[in-house]
Amino acid sequence: MPTYALKLTPRGARFGHRPVWEIPVRLTHWVTAFAITALFGTGMFISWPVVSSQGEPFQNFLMGRVREVHFICAYFLLFSFILRGYWFFVGNKYSRSGVPLIWRKDWWRALWHQVLEYVATKRGPVTIGHNSLAGLSYFLFVGGLGFLMIGTGFAMYSETNPGGFWDKLFGWVIPLFGGSYRTRLIHHTAAWGFVIFFLFHMYIILFDSVRWHNGLISSIFSGDKFWEDGDLDSDDWVS
Amino acid sequence: MPVRSPSTYDILRDHGVDRRTFLDYCVKLTACMGLTAAATPTVVKALETKPRIPVLWLHGLECTCCSESFIRSAHPIAQDIILNMVSLDYDETLQAAAGEQCEEIRRKVMKDYKGQYLLAVEGNAPTKDGGMYCTVGGNSFLNILKETAVDAKAIVAWGSCASHGCVQNAKPNPTGAEPVKKIITDKPIVNVPGCPPIADVMTGVLANILTFDRLPELDRVGRPTMFYGQRIHDKCYRRPFFDAGQFVETWDDEGARKGWCLYKMGCRGPSTYNSCATMKWNDGVSFPIGSGHGCIGCSEANFWDNGPLYERLSGIPVPGIDSTPDAVGKTLAVITGVGITAHAAYQTIRTKHGPDPKNS
Repeated sequence: MPTYALKLTPRGARFGHRPVWEIPVRLTHWVTAFAITALFGTGMFISWPVVSSQGEPFQNFLMGRVREVHFICAYFLLFSFILRGYWFFVGNKYSRSGVPLIWRKDWWRALWHQVLEYVATKRGPVTIGHNSLAGLSYFLFVGGLGFLMIGTGFAMYSETNPGGFWDKLFGWVIPLFGGSYRTRLIHHTAAWGFVIFFLFHMYIILFDSVRWHNGLISSIFSGDKFWEDGDLDSDDWVS
Repeated sequence: MPVRSPSTYDILRDHGVDRRTFLDYCVKLTACMGLTAAATPTVVKALETKPRIPVLWLHGLECTCCSESFIRSAHPIAQDIILNMVSLDYDETLQAAAGEQCEEIRRKVMKDYKGQYLLAVEGNAPTKDGGMYCTVGGNSFLNILKETAVDAKAIVAWGSCASHGCVQNAKPNPTGAEPVKKIITDKPIVNVPGCPPIADVMTGVLANILTFDRLPELDRVGRPTMFYGQRIHDKCYRRPFFDAGQFVETWDDEGARKGWCLYKMGCRGPSTYNSCATMKWNDGVSFPIGSGHGCIGCSEANFWDNGPLYERLSGIPVPGIDSTPDAVGKTLAVITGVGITAHAAYQTIRTKHGPDPKNS
């Protein structure tokens, strides 16, 4: 690992900071964040183009450009997901932390403690990686929702080129959801899930940082998290 | 003992059609099927040698709009199809025979041409209460369909009823109407959706089956790709207005007069696979969008249940909630915001007045 300007973890320390989020984790976080923001904005415009251009059609390409931006961001999101999916398997133990292994009792216990912490302000065990609740929320609202959006999105993208590459890869999604219209409806409705997630995500990171003074927000820039004795480290495979 | 019926050319000769007219007809037919001129000899040979296919045309729960469309076909005209290319032996609407006579014809064809005849189905079958909501000649259509399908070579499902279910299959579907593919699962089925399908598409599909003696190339939902391979949107003459971002906002605005895109008026062109934008209707005169009205997506599955026809993306796919996706999204976002605020307020008060939970 790189050397640090400040040596905050001297030998025998009972607290300090350590590298947790590796570069691919941080990179995919930000690519995903910016891509989803842009995708939501352009997507809402595509669904209901509030502005109409004036003049002759040959002078304008508004809808075409907005769709183009949407598709470009979709590619960024796709490759960001591929990289993050790969890193789930090859990254450090924190890249897998919190993932809902629902057959494990300790995952459920950690989930319960975390819920209790937010509801009753009862400080539970501190996890250095993602806790169970965070893992569950990322698994459903980023992973699950993201793959739903990628699946339905690229299926609709493939419609302009029947029989093409994306049609072969994602074309089956359209009959699965009951046709082209239903696929659009699901894609559009599900996009709001990201808004809900965004609100929760923003609140939780602010709450955590302000309430516990743990510098949580800076960890997605620097990759380092603060720790003290008694914090739960992650399992080698998952936490 | 199966009987071999005469070829199309034999029949045409009997009707006094000369060779030149026959070849002319073949060239036109080839073009209508979307094939290159190089395929003309194949078509000629097929019509000369292949026996005419006996067709049994059943009518279930339907409105006969498919038949109405079919008999208004322009190329090749329905008369040619019915009288020359296929041997339409049974069709409740078009046949002269009545009563027990026609049922006898149906059974005779089924016996004589076992495994050779084509079954065309217009409409679908109600499955609830033993199929009693549609009976033909004292028997339920469900039974007739199953019985006739057993020895059929293939099935052509005419229209959205037979292909997807259409209006009788829309929620709440009181008679349990199901499309042909849900009832007959062991036969090749060509779905020709539309309410009705374009006449030239119907004749084109039949001509293709006869000429090549096999079913046309089908897509994932069993539709012939040559007619249902692309969306109306991708071939729409108003597409430049869509890409430019110029939309009709109300039915009488400037954009409507200028012929701008009908996307915001609920046009289903972007989600509908059909040939309307290219082949058009009534001998190529026009099609809905050409007449200033959005597409209603009649050839798509569940099109009756896909929200009001004049609204874009309305009605979210959650039963019991009659709302637009955006309204639901915004409501959830507001609820989330309120919840967050309440939590923040609660935590602030607790922290100020209670012991520090970290040390408690």
